[in-house]
Amino acid sequence: MKSFKLSVLLFVFAILVLGCAHRPSPISSFEPSSVSPQHNQVIVASNLDQIPLSSPEMSPKPEGERLDDVSAPQDALASPVMPSNSDDTSVDDDDNLDYVEENGTTEKISIADPLEPFNRAMYQFNDKLYFWLLKPVAQGYRKIVPEGARVSVRNFFSNLTSPIRIVNCMLQANFGGAARELGRFTVNTILGIGGLFDPASGKNINLPKQDEDFGQTLGVYGLGQGFYINWPILGPSSPRDTVGLVGDLFLHPFNYLATWDVSVGTRAYEKVNDTSLTIGDYESLKEAAIDPYVALRDAYVQYRLNKVKARGGKPAPSDAGGAVSTATEEAPPSVHSGETTPY
Amino acid sequence: MKRPLAVLCGLMFLLLALPVRAGVPLDTVKVNVNKVLEVLRDPKLKAESAKETKKERLRYIYDLMFNKVELSRRALAQNWNNLNPAQREEFVQLFRQVLEKAYIDKILAYSDEKVVFDRETILSVNKAEIQTKIITSSKEVPILYRVILKDGEWKVYDIVVENVSLILNYRTQFNDILAKNTPDQLLEILRKKVKGQS
Repeated sequence: MKSFKLSVLLFVFAILVLGCAHRPSPISSFEPSSVSPQHNQVIVASNLDQIPLSSPEMSPKPEGERLDDVSAPQDALASPVMPSNSDDTSVDDDDNLDYVEENGTTEKISIADPLEPFNRAMYQFNDKLYFWLLKPVAQGYRKIVPEGARVSVRNFFSNLTSPIRIVNCMLQANFGGAARELGRFTVNTILGIGGLFDPASGKNINLPKQDEDFGQTLGVYGLGQGFYINWPILGPSSPRDTVGLVGDLFLHPFNYLATWDVSVGTRAYEKVNDTSLTIGDYESLKEAAIDPYVALRDAYVQYRLNKVKARGGKPAPSDAGGAVSTATEEAPPSVHSGETTPY
Repeated sequence: MKRPLAVLCGLMFLLLALPVRAGVPLDTVKVNVNKVLEVLRDPKLKAESAKETKKERLRYIYDLMFNKVELSRRALAQNWNNLNPAQREEFVQLFRQVLEKAYIDKILAYSDEKVVFDRETILSVNKAEIQTKIITSSKEVPILYRVILKDGEWKVYDIVVENVSLILNYRTQFNDILAKNTPDQLLEILRKKVKGQS
């Protein structure tokens, strides 16, 4: 009986270790690595209490496999042409598998763009506005004003718009966030000398900014972006976020402090100051893009979507069943309201 | 009979446990990021003339750190299936060069920003997400590395900066281009892109 148990155990062990070995991996044999890849994969699977069957290796698409076999010799032909640094593991025939949509891991992030011709024209306009006016002005300003002062100016303006964030936290029923933002406002106004400094974000007080606006509030209540609008000067937006922007104006202190020209002037100054701290960001986005217009549109959509989701995400400790979170060095005490759920 | 069984069980657990410890995703990313920082901080490579050496070393680390086929496959998504193996091959190379051209200057411009590794989250059997932050004098930039386990190595297949996924961003662009163009035309666009910036 015991020897039977033993042999069953051995059998299970053998399956665990060799379970995936049907797939020959030509690359691994060239590598000095002591652990064979299949070995490792199965081990990880078994550690998560999952049957190796769920590993993608075990259920390859038949067409993919066949395509593999066809492509393998071509890879071998192609590899000498490639730059020398690619002769490591990369072009494994396994990697030439067809793309298969994985369940729940990839989401479609897209936005309708019925106004594309207008939007593209406005993109050109904003692009020129940035390179011909905003950037040179911000660069000149950067030469005169030291960075510390510019950060303080940004803090000051950010502190003034605290009411917008408090109200939107409350509208989203995120009362913890509202309380934190209120505490932040108090701390930074008093200890931070009218908001010039940001002691609240520091490690000791740890009240991070609750970056909420009315566009996100509408999103939290299920209103979609609708379609893409690229406004002149204001840039990427949508009907929802435009309404949000207008809604937030009611809480913007500039509108109560002064006449409209002073208000616009202050806004322009704020924009120049912000730009002086982020020169290069837009340039690198543009340079990295194949189609900068589409890249900017997509970045905007992703950014806003994740902002809205961060609120919907709450603390969410038990999302993605069985997910293991390992807190390592310098892990914050997770007071962040904005925990994005992984896709 | 009992004792050998216990010993065997113990051995099995050891065998099961050891490789996992060795391949923790966060450590892999951290080791590679630290290698990058080492190159960037190397006082011997400070001179302008050493720029090519630096680039060469960074390329080497890039190959250790990133799974470039996975990057390409995911950036093309469904469109990947419409490319024949030769086109895929070229696409992988071109996309790597596009990324290099786009980001190498930013990386080389590094000046003592601090990199903090926050935590790792296991997404599935073979995927994990590493949260990091780059702290500059004026702001903190959250950067997420998504890594995938292939052939026993954890390699990066996506980077998420300030909530924007690099791969999804390229995917939208490639989708948009391939809606109107053939794969060959896309490759031509990429070839021009790579040449145009050098």
